[in-house]
Amino acid sequence: MQPDGQVQPQQIQILMSNTETIPGRTIGQSLGVVTGSTVRAKHIGKDILAGLKNIVGGELKGYTELLQEARAQALQRMVADAAKRGANAVVNVRFATSSVAGGAAELFAYGTAVVLQ
Amino acid sequence: MNEETWGLIFSIGLPMLFAFGPFLFSWIFGNWYQNSKQKELVEREAAFGADPLSTLRTASGEVKESGLLISNITMSISWWQGMIGGIHSIFGGTITVWDKVLSWGRQEVMQRLREKCRELGYDDVINMRLETSEIAGSKGKTRALELVAYGTGVKY
Repeated sequence: MQPDGQVQPQQIQILMSNTETIPGRTIGQSLGVVTGSTVRAKHIGKDILAGLKNIVGGELKGYTELLQEARAQALQRMVADAAKRGANAVVNVRFATSSVAGGAAELFAYGTAVVLQ
Repeated sequence: MNEETWGLIFSIGLPMLFAFGPFLFSWIFGNWYQNSKQKELVEREAAFGADPLSTLRTASGEVKESGLLISNITMSISWWQGMIGGIHSIFGGTITVWDKVLSWGRQEVMQRLREKCRELGYDDVINMRLETSEIAGSKGKTRALELVAYGTGVKY
């Protein structure tokens, strides 16, 4: 994992929500849009396993885990961006996924960085 | 039976087995596997009790703590279902195989969000959203679909 995707332990806890506000809290100041993205390609071994799993259909666990990790990384980058701006919460978090040529996928997370009162 | 009859059976039967054998295998085991998983899901849903998920934007009480919850699943159809789906898509109309797999996947991903909500000690999930995206295979064909459910967990 890249160092810029890591969240330092001494960083303040950043609250996240996909509603317009953090429930039960008041927003003091908005610091603009923060984004985080990552592009992941499938591991060849996982791809072969998924191909075998395709015989019976259903869930492809390898891909589920891969995308879960990728989404977590995109979120971490977004949080790091928000921390750099001095925010302590990100509201209205949204996700977007698009497939890039060659079997890779881009995972993208964005939201509004805010300072809570 | 004489030699010629056996010869005829092998010369037709063996190529048929190689051509349709994998699909037959996929039909039998795929059906068995998918049905058993779906049954398991229905049992998990029944055992869970009251549904904490909602698409409302506001919580129904005073919130003490909140956090973002995400769950995902990647669904694909079996070889047999792919063949049936291909035949269906010539004539148009409902593609029942994808229909079945997607509604199952969506149910599963929502159940995972419920379980995550309970696991992390949240009382409710508000503003739940569902998203679907394509996962392209190596030949650019859609091989799998990813379903994501996310929402804000709240503690009262």
